[in-house]
Amino acid sequence: MGNKTTAHYNWRMISGQIALLLLILGAIEYIVSAEIVGSLYLSRPTLVIKEIIRLFAEGEIFHHLSVTLWEFLVGYVLSAAAGIGTGMFLVLIPRAETFFKPFLSALLAVPKVTIIPMLMLWLGIGLSNKIAIVFLFCFFTIAFNTITGIKQTADNHLKVARVFEATKLQTIIKVILPSAAPTIFVALRLSAATGLVGALFGEMIASKDGLGNLLVQATSLYDTTKAFAIITIVTIVSVLIIALIDLFEKKIVLKWKSS
Amino acid sequence: MAGFLINGVSKVYGGTTPTETLVDIDLTIEDGEFLSILGPSGCGKSTLLEILAGLQLPTSGEIWFEGKKLQGPGIERGVVFQDPSLYPWRTVMQNVELGLELRHKNKVERKLAAQKYLDMVGLQGFENKYPHHLSGGMKQRAGLARALANSPEVLLMDEPFGAVDHLTRLQLQDDLLRIWEAEKKTVVFVTHDVSEAVFLGDRVVLLSPRPGRINKIFRVPNKHPRKRDDIELLKIQNDIYAAIHEVKTQENLEFII
Ligand SMILES: Nc1ncnc2c1ncn2[C@@H]1O[C@H](COP(=O)(O)OP(=O)(O)OP(=O)(O)O)[C@@H](O)[C@H]1O
Ligand SMILES: [Mg+2]
Repeated sequence: MGNKTTAHYNWRMISGQIALLLLILGAIEYIVSAEIVGSLYLSRPTLVIKEIIRLFAEGEIFHHLSVTLWEFLVGYVLSAAAGIGTGMFLVLIPRAETFFKPFLSALLAVPKVTIIPMLMLWLGIGLSNKIAIVFLFCFFTIAFNTITGIKQTADNHLKVARVFEATKLQTIIKVILPSAAPTIFVALRLSAATGLVGALFGEMIASKDGLGNLLVQATSLYDTTKAFAIITIVTIVSVLIIALIDLFEKKIVLKWKSS
Repeated sequence: MAGFLINGVSKVYGGTTPTETLVDIDLTIEDGEFLSILGPSGCGKSTLLEILAGLQLPTSGEIWFEGKKLQGPGIERGVVFQDPSLYPWRTVMQNVELGLELRHKNKVERKLAAQKYLDMVGLQGFENKYPHHLSGGMKQRAGLARALANSPEVLLMDEPFGAVDHLTRLQLQDDLLRIWEAEKKTVVFVTHDVSEAVFLGDRVVLLSPRPGRINKIFRVPNKHPRKRDDIELLKIQNDIYAAIHEVKTQENLEFII
């Protein structure tokens, strides 16, 4: 297929998708305004959009948004550093993996949500509690993927390094990490989404602020429009975070994968 | 004196079912010599080459290199692998620079050396491409340039042209000989192609099927440049085929006829 045809085809695809989206939103708008479904259960998309604009215009959202983002960011960065570090430690130190694997697997098997009440007890309901939850939601995926990625390093790539008398540190930096990077990035992308869920979930259970807290407040007041507005905002935040990670991966680490 | 003395080398791979791979190899490789090692698939050619590279230790016997007992890999012995093993996350240039970079050579020096050998192997214009943009033959050229960039005294080459088409292969052979004459290196060249072994080598070491032993060593006295249809070369090829035929007690011999 020529470039022109592909572009044309994409354009038709996208306009079709937009049309379908508008159709669905229009249908919801209609069934809610015609009171086929009560406004307690659903909200009119136009009202939701107005609510989003209001939340930003009146500035109410900024505080909560920054609280959630900060919890996420700190927890995520910590878990990424600790996860990659732990993964490297386990594979690169002889026998460390064999020794620690049962412990790690046992920890992995604990359903993380059951720890949350404990974390409240230990850390209160503030920032450190949320950071711990985000950490718990992200750490294991990142650690295990780092282990998998490192183990996938091609034997021959290591032989090349040995022939050139690379030191252990050089081998790690120039061979092992670059070749594990794609696998590690899969984990970073996955756990960005789950990490955000962790922050929101923690806020919904017990907190004084944050988007999760705002959402619980809205639903307890039966403010369906506001609830949908917050859900929309959270979704956009999640998409943006993942887009940011993809961008980072493409531009900085995986130049060689794209054409 | 970049020669090898291989003294009673045997290799058994461990594991649940130990595989005897090389048996009692005695061989002297002269300084500046182009030595072909010929043998059927699985006879231990790669194993022997990796032992010379220092990537593997023999189970018994010893290797002497430049009058010293060989202990491990060393940058004076460059290796060109059976599959090119370029790093996909590095450009061709960066791959070729690798050895110099690991030895903390400065940028200018690295670029100069890499460019010299990229030109020598005919890869000018591809410096900034990533390996997955190269054809099989070009990847092997890049692998050769990567080894050459460290100015090794010995080139250990493991079926470097095994995976490219016939015409490319002939071209690569000519280019390799040109480089060998210009750079005056000792070359140990593993192949399972009889005509390739004879066309390139000063001597051809024929290994028997697994476990690999030295079956016979053939001297190819002809001076380079040689002609592929030289009657003397064809005669040596015939002698080699006859020797192969003699030991053809097992089936599944995978020589290229
Ligand atoms: N790391 C290893 N562990 C166990 N066995 C091995 C290992 N490497 C090679 N072998 C075995 O040793 C034998 C010789 O292998 P080697 O790769 O040296 O053969 P080769 O002559 O290079 O074959 P080919 O022409 O197919 O490359 C084979 O039977 C192989 O299965
Ligand atoms: Mg081999």
